[in-house]
Amino acid sequence: MSEERKSVSMSGAGVIAGGSYSRVSISGAGKINGDLYAEELKMSGAGKVDGHCEVVQLTVSGTGKFSKAVIADEMKVSGVAKVDGLVKVKELKCSGTFRAGENISSEYVKVSGQLHVGGDLEAEIFRASGGFDIRGLLTADRIEIHPGGRCRAQEIGGAKIDVRRYGSRDHAGVLGSLMRALSSAWGGEVEADLIEGDEIYLENTSADVVRGKQIQIGPNCKIKLIEYSESLTVHDDSDVEKQTKI
Amino acid sequence: MEDEHLISKKDVLEKMGISYGQLYRWKRKGLIPEIWFIRRSTFTGQETFFPEDKIVERIERIKNMKGEHALDDLADVISEHVNAKIQIAFGKLKHLGWFDEELGRAAGIVIVENKDGTLSLRDALRLAVLKKLRRSARDEEIALASRTLDGAIDKAGIDLTVVEGKTLHLLRKQLSGGGISAEISVIVIAMGELVVDPELRRVDSVDLAGMLQQVKLDLAACCAPEDVNDESSRNQKDGREEHE
Repeated sequence: MSEERKSVSMSGAGVIAGGSYSRVSISGAGKINGDLYAEELKMSGAGKVDGHCEVVQLTVSGTGKFSKAVIADEMKVSGVAKVDGLVKVKELKCSGTFRAGENISSEYVKVSGQLHVGGDLEAEIFRASGGFDIRGLLTADRIEIHPGGRCRAQEIGGAKIDVRRYGSRDHAGVLGSLMRALSSAWGGEVEADLIEGDEIYLENTSADVVRGKQIQIGPNCKIKLIEYSESLTVHDDSDVEKQTKI
Repeated sequence: MEDEHLISKKDVLEKMGISYGQLYRWKRKGLIPEIWFIRRSTFTGQETFFPEDKIVERIERIKNMKGEHALDDLADVISEHVNAKIQIAFGKLKHLGWFDEELGRAAGIVIVENKDGTLSLRDALRLAVLKKLRRSARDEEIALASRTLDGAIDKAGIDLTVVEGKTLHLLRKQLSGGGISAEISVIVIAMGELVVDPELRRVDSVDLAGMLQQVKLDLAACCAPEDVNDESSRNQKDGREEHE
């Protein structure tokens, strides 16, 4: 990469060639043809990168489309973003709608909007209060979900998995009860074929199989089979077809 | 793969005394290859199985590597940035026996001593594959393999996971007629079993994903955390806890 890199701002309609830039900002309609390397990319209008996108900071508050992989330190989506390739970031915050065609890997993921993943999602910490649809595996060391819509993954696996409705424990007070009312009105719930972890707490969850060491099943769960190795408790308002100690 | 003995995930955990968290973490770190996870439907629902010998050997290796923390740090650096331009010091490669000048020349990798003396993981993989091939291949075949491998990775862009499940084969065919005979060499990178015409002779094969794992593990075993110049990402991760 060259020493002097330019910054570009597209506020009307524009097309630029890929390459190395310092800052790129699109507030009108802009397209980048080719691979983009930049410190910062901001899309507040309609933007498209036709190539790989490797940036430090990526913000999409308008619409952003990426035809290939996205690599970034920090990715924030408050608008609508679509990535057709892999997503490798350190931190992903999605309060808008984010559609990833392939795998996402990030150290930290926070979803308060909608997230769609065509492949797997891998993280160290995954926190969701919105909705998501993950076609493959959702795996993280810590998975915390406050379902705020339909939350679906084929498999969920990690060390600690915690699914609870807003306000069920740690969200007391007015906000907690408001969120509780809203989330039950929206009917947020988690669905998965398989959930595996060492410590699992579930509420409002439907799953075929749940496997783990210490499993606590809270209210409103429907689980066909539980296999546990240390402990299991099941709330009266939940439905567990079969449970075995292994 | 069919005649390998399979072991279920829960049996692996019990046998090796590890947790779900560890297994998933190692998977994320790329220390356990994706293709070893074999999903089968059983009467108790969806289960994952592993080739027993391989997974047991791998987990032993991981467990023996100077404690989990060091391993995590190293694995972080080694596999997370598989795509990016992780730099590996030549000194380490030499130490491991992964590198020698002759092979470097064949692979078209020039050592620039005056720079920081490092190369990318991708080149390290290339070298490891070529080193394995050298037991049976000629110089020009090594160069050919190097170019083929480079092309395959280039085509996929920035991701080394492209090698997953693939094997590199070196094939030779004898052509003769009119008193002249010649031999042509072919390099093929393919998924699964390769079926070729009977006149084509397979000289050597290298499992690419296996090799990539090997490179990562060997590097992890010989690197010390302070050698890895990626301090910033680790700091950022530590700060993550009080992030909310």
